[in-house]
Amino acid sequence: MARFILKRLVQSIFVMLAVAFLAFSLFRFVGDPISQMTGVETSVEDQERLREELGLNDPFVVQFIRFTGDILRGDFGYSFRTREPIDAMLLTRLPATLELGTVALMISLVAGIPAGVYTALRPRGIFSQSILIGTLIGVSIPTFVIGILLIFLFGVQLGWLPTYGRGGTVEIGWWRSSFLTVEGWRSLVLPALTLGLFQLTLTMRLVRAQMMEVMRTDHIRFAIARGVPWRSIRYRHALANTMIPVITIIGLQFGGVIAFSIVTESVFQWPGMGLLFLESIRFVDIPVMSVYLVVIAFFFVLINLLVDLLYFAIDPRLRVRESA
Amino acid sequence: MFKATLPATALALGTTVLCALPAGAESFRWAGTTDPQTMDPHAVNATPVLSFLNNVYEGLVRRGPDMAIQPSLSTSWEALPDGAGWRFSLREGVTFHDGAPFNADDVIFSYERAISEPSDVKSWFANITEVVKVDDTTVDFMTTAPDPLFPGSIANFMILDADWAAENDAEVPARDAENHATRNTNGTGPFVLTARDPGIRTELTPNEAWWDTAEHNLTEAVFTPIGNPATGLAALLSGEIDFISPIPLQDVEQVESRDGFKVLTGLETRVIMLGFGHDHDALRYSEDITEENPFLDVQVREAVAKAIDVDTIDRVIMRGAAEPASQLLPAGLSGYSEDHADRPEFDPEAAKELLAAAGYPDGFSFGLMCPNDRYINDEAVCRAVASMLARIGLDASVNAMPVRGYWDELRADNFDMYMLGWSPGTFDAEHPIRFLAHTPTERLGTWNFGGYSNPQIDDMLAPIQQEIDAEARQDMLEEVAGILQDDVAYVPLYTEPLIWAMKENIDVVQRPDNFFMLRWVEVN
Repeated sequence: MARFILKRLVQSIFVMLAVAFLAFSLFRFVGDPISQMTGVETSVEDQERLREELGLNDPFVVQFIRFTGDILRGDFGYSFRTREPIDAMLLTRLPATLELGTVALMISLVAGIPAGVYTALRPRGIFSQSILIGTLIGVSIPTFVIGILLIFLFGVQLGWLPTYGRGGTVEIGWWRSSFLTVEGWRSLVLPALTLGLFQLTLTMRLVRAQMMEVMRTDHIRFAIARGVPWRSIRYRHALANTMIPVITIIGLQFGGVIAFSIVTESVFQWPGMGLLFLESIRFVDIPVMSVYLVVIAFFFVLINLLVDLLYFAIDPRLRVRESA
Repeated sequence: MFKATLPATALALGTTVLCALPAGAESFRWAGTTDPQTMDPHAVNATPVLSFLNNVYEGLVRRGPDMAIQPSLSTSWEALPDGAGWRFSLREGVTFHDGAPFNADDVIFSYERAISEPSDVKSWFANITEVVKVDDTTVDFMTTAPDPLFPGSIANFMILDADWAAENDAEVPARDAENHATRNTNGTGPFVLTARDPGIRTELTPNEAWWDTAEHNLTEAVFTPIGNPATGLAALLSGEIDFISPIPLQDVEQVESRDGFKVLTGLETRVIMLGFGHDHDALRYSEDITEENPFLDVQVREAVAKAIDVDTIDRVIMRGAAEPASQLLPAGLSGYSEDHADRPEFDPEAAKELLAAAGYPDGFSFGLMCPNDRYINDEAVCRAVASMLARIGLDASVNAMPVRGYWDELRADNFDMYMLGWSPGTFDAEHPIRFLAHTPTERLGTWNFGGYSNPQIDDMLAPIQQEIDAEARQDMLEEVAGILQDDVAYVPLYTEPLIWAMKENIDVVQRPDNFFMLRWVEVN
């Protein structure tokens, strides 16, 4: 077990190096950071000096090695734009993104799994069909359109919920949480719905497909033949078998939720890491962009690892194989 | 029974209201698209930063609602004999937000900080040789040559407390890592920075000890950057913010049609223009003419100017909010030439004749570079220009890109024609001549991407900068304006509008430099 985790962590370093390399080679085409950092009247020689100081004149490979070297030593560097230390920047933004992602994931699970089971068990029911069609519309509309629609309906027309930002937050150490105030929860509703809707549809359809497949397998047929109660067949035997691929996908989806909350965060001016990344692109803040992508890669690796560990917990066959 | 309860309720209500809002003063929440990236007044010479910090810090002089120069930390100033420099008399009894007194040492310190190597505002002091403390309330700025515009050019030169900066290791602007002044302030201005959460929220409260009489009625002001225009509009319409700048042109009607909101439209000091590759030997993006550059012929440039119907662009794309421009700076600014206020007449027929006379009766194709997120509807304007040029046979392929890569492309000469917006930082005609018309060198003509070069203009820049006599100076500026128009060095299109949206009960002053000054905000 420990060896397995260790192996995964070593692999993750290579994944992150690859991401950093790709990110770094792409960012050279994003634009010129110097013209974003200086005013119009700054002389050419001052711009050149700044470029030299920031090491932007160095060859790509030198810049990349310096960047990875600094990261490995735990030095994340400073933002070109605000000159804040990047680790602190990301840490202040991290809670916002994680809380939003968690709530969005919860919404998708709490609504998606039951809906998936229901639509699998009654595939031809009118209610099932309308859920399926409804969610199809949900995935077809781009996230930012859904966000804007929700904002204008619940924020502007009805005036029930805030349209932007995190509202009231409480600081627990460095962790700034929305979970402890009513205002914080009110601010969470719309962005979490927007972000969770796509996941919800995905979860539901996945659970539905898996469940229908599992219901056709031999061991369920035998269970039915043996007269095992329906309730037990559905929720104990069938659902448990359904969950293996569902957990994989949901786990990877959580990485996706964190990484792609960029759009939702921008629409709701949600001060998370995604919004920070977007702003960094706008101002060619290369160090922030690079570190962000490496951190996101780390998240994916971590989540993959957790998913693998969850397999052990859920699937007895794997445990047997490991001990053998 | 009814009579008895009513006054009691009214009284109860009255006290609640009084508790929340003392003496008719208000909390004010406003939003903009860009967060000021630093609180250091010398670190970045950009409007979002300088506009915001003008609420907290002050200069020796300041600009009034009409852009006129007014006394601020200096009560009066006079030119030293023989154009040797300027003498500023400092205001007495002014204190910084932390209570420290303001004096000549702070001015000298701030000057040294502003010309230090990591400073981004050095260009304001290009002509200054030294700053001399005459006594505690008098400071001399010595210049290399007579500099009549100097007092007007340092309205954004903000004064820091020397001791505060020394105590907090902020003696120079931060270059690499942030320093104390990146997030903290200690100015003399009308507002005190009370909380700073970069990119998220910045809070200000009025400075009770401010030397001037406050015209605003705010108790607190909170700034939130909102990058997405639709989100900003929703935040305004839902009442969560009181003011936002700018809003997209296409949303103006929606805001105006709603009860309780208004839009304030004015003209910014920015002129949108087209530039040519004056120093290109050949077109870079042409499909038919690759050996030469037709734009080197003034007749072709004139044809371009005559083929563009700016009134239609203004009416259709800018919704009538812009104003056609004839020069590199908007009408009404200092040094603007009234004699050259006419744009080339829109006349496609004459344009065609000019093209034929230049030897291109069938026109030619070329590349037009445009930003797509820098100016209002910039890409749409470029496409309109391209379709208007198509009518005289000029086939412009528009290449629109985000501004973050745009200047790089222009510096690399990757254009045949390009769009540029220019707002003169000194609000004087000398500024665009220095940056756009002078032959490019290390310090001059730094935004003259097309390499326009006219020795006559180069020779006149220094005399314009040094001429004390206003009339003689204006004569020279008129001459330059004439040369630029005759050469069709640029094709000025229009002056860009400013569009601010707010709740009905908010009164603000819209200054043409797009600075938002809290000291003029009233919540009614």
